[in-house]
Amino acid sequence: MSMSGNGGDTPVVYMEDIVKRFGTITALDGVDFTVNQREVVGLLGDNGAGKSTLIKVLTGVHTPTKGQIYFEGQKVDIPSPQVARALGIETCYQDLALIPLMSVTRNFFLGREVTRGFGPVTWLDMPEMDQQAREALKDIGIHLRSPREKVGKLSGGERQSIAIGRARYFGAKLLILDEPTSALSVGETHKVLTYTLNAKERGLSVIFISHNVGHVYQVADRFTIIRRGHLVGNYTRDEVTENDIADLITGEREK
Amino acid sequence: MSADSLTANLTRFRYRLAQFPEAVALISFLIVALIFSFSAEHFLTSVAISNILSFGSVQGLIVIGVAILMIAGEFDLSVGSIFAVASFVWALSMNAGLAPLPAMLFALLVSATLGLINGLIVVRTGIPSFIATLGTMLAYRGIARGIGGGDFAKYTESTPFLFTFLNGSLTKLNVLFTPVANFRLSILWFVLVAVLMSFLLRRTRFGNWVFATGGNPGAALAQGVPVRRVKLLAFTLTGLLTGLASVMQFAHRTSVDPLRGEGWELIAVAASVIGGVHLTGGVGSVVGPVIGILLLQMLEQGLVLMGVSVQIFRAVAGAILMLSVILNTYLSRSD
Repeated sequence: MSMSGNGGDTPVVYMEDIVKRFGTITALDGVDFTVNQREVVGLLGDNGAGKSTLIKVLTGVHTPTKGQIYFEGQKVDIPSPQVARALGIETCYQDLALIPLMSVTRNFFLGREVTRGFGPVTWLDMPEMDQQAREALKDIGIHLRSPREKVGKLSGGERQSIAIGRARYFGAKLLILDEPTSALSVGETHKVLTYTLNAKERGLSVIFISHNVGHVYQVADRFTIIRRGHLVGNYTRDEVTENDIADLITGEREK
Repeated sequence: MSADSLTANLTRFRYRLAQFPEAVALISFLIVALIFSFSAEHFLTSVAISNILSFGSVQGLIVIGVAILMIAGEFDLSVGSIFAVASFVWALSMNAGLAPLPAMLFALLVSATLGLINGLIVVRTGIPSFIATLGTMLAYRGIARGIGGGDFAKYTESTPFLFTFLNGSLTKLNVLFTPVANFRLSILWFVLVAVLMSFLLRRTRFGNWVFATGGNPGAALAQGVPVRRVKLLAFTLTGLLTGLASVMQFAHRTSVDPLRGEGWELIAVAASVIGGVHLTGGVGSVVGPVIGILLLQMLEQGLVLMGVSVQIFRAVAGAILMLSVILNTYLSRSD
């Protein structure tokens, strides 16, 4: 297990010896996982390897059966998604990032609405939120027809970029992108990869989860590969080729 | 060429209409009103209109709760039974010597608690609310029958001020019409609650969370929305509004029978769906379902005035329900 990525700083996240059991099924069996400052980590593994379970442990959706999580060097408990968020961990799930039937603004500020009012009576400050959403998205190069437009009417790439823009706007330190490019066209994929690198440029750390080795390879500094709940290894980009990674995922070749 | 531009215009018009989930309800309402004004002799009279509003107000309170709950992605089939329980609780506690006001507050507390129990069953066990509240529909009906001894409960003292305050006849207004109209105070409370709930749904954080919870609970949870608490609150609110409807009706009729409210749960769902609320959650408004319930009330009154057997009402209501859903589906189609 290598903890040294780039620089010698404290990792943003260090998950140690994570075990997660569901009844008799062991989804994760003692996995270590590290993300360093300003690093894009590609998290790879076949279906059912434990990628999403690991992420759900990190984001407070699941509590680990065993193991510790350190965030910026501090040991933390992450019992709920709210806690994960408060720490600065933002997740952009493929299907769980946005609510298609709601407007861009309402999605952008969901759970962190800007309100005004007197005492206990508060209401949404829609004009303020509309303006802030529009500007925050313009800032990373996303131009919208209207922030009141329903998210369901946008393209897949636009949706991902809204989720990324939102994470950046709310000061996320760690951005988790879960299958951000599956079901996207080549052009849209390119945009999402560019936004991912933009996010890193602006100081974020990113966990990039994907089935598509080609896409991960374009953006990740390091690859963490898991198989059947076990860590296969960590590899920097100059250590492995795309083909090596594919083989490591399926278990055709051991390190 | 011109056919193409016509199609394009139609599509654009459809998109614009789809922005308003209540559009179909409003259009249906106007069409039905138009038909009745030509074919039912006494339809455009103050009596008919005031009846529609007075009766619609009581059911409307339930509809608002059910609609908000449906937007949050859940059903409540037990509202008809809660409606009966609330009236029995109020009547029996007054007959047991409790003053009208504390007795009413107790009845409302019971209603809200029954709603909360629905919510707890759904949130804790994860069973579909359709099944959970089908169960509590039977259970709460049993409570209503049980505490009422299977018989009527009446309040026979002289009318307390609270009854007048809740649902008194607006006599000074009514006598201005010939024949005398039947406007009641419930209309005022209903409008007030509708405005408040519409504000709650569209302009507050809670409302935003209701839409998010029904639209995509996973995403809502991932964004830090306390999905379970939102559902619990929506169930409790539905129970409370149903209780309010119940005491309002009791204040008018001063009696309650064991079958009171039976079948209203489906009327409330029908009104909500006609009003543009999606069965799958995440879409809807307060205004739409309010128009929906007024439409159903109008239908019932209008058919009576046309001399059509009241038995036909359900057939026509069913047809309008289906037409509305088909129209709403057409409007929200994304192509």
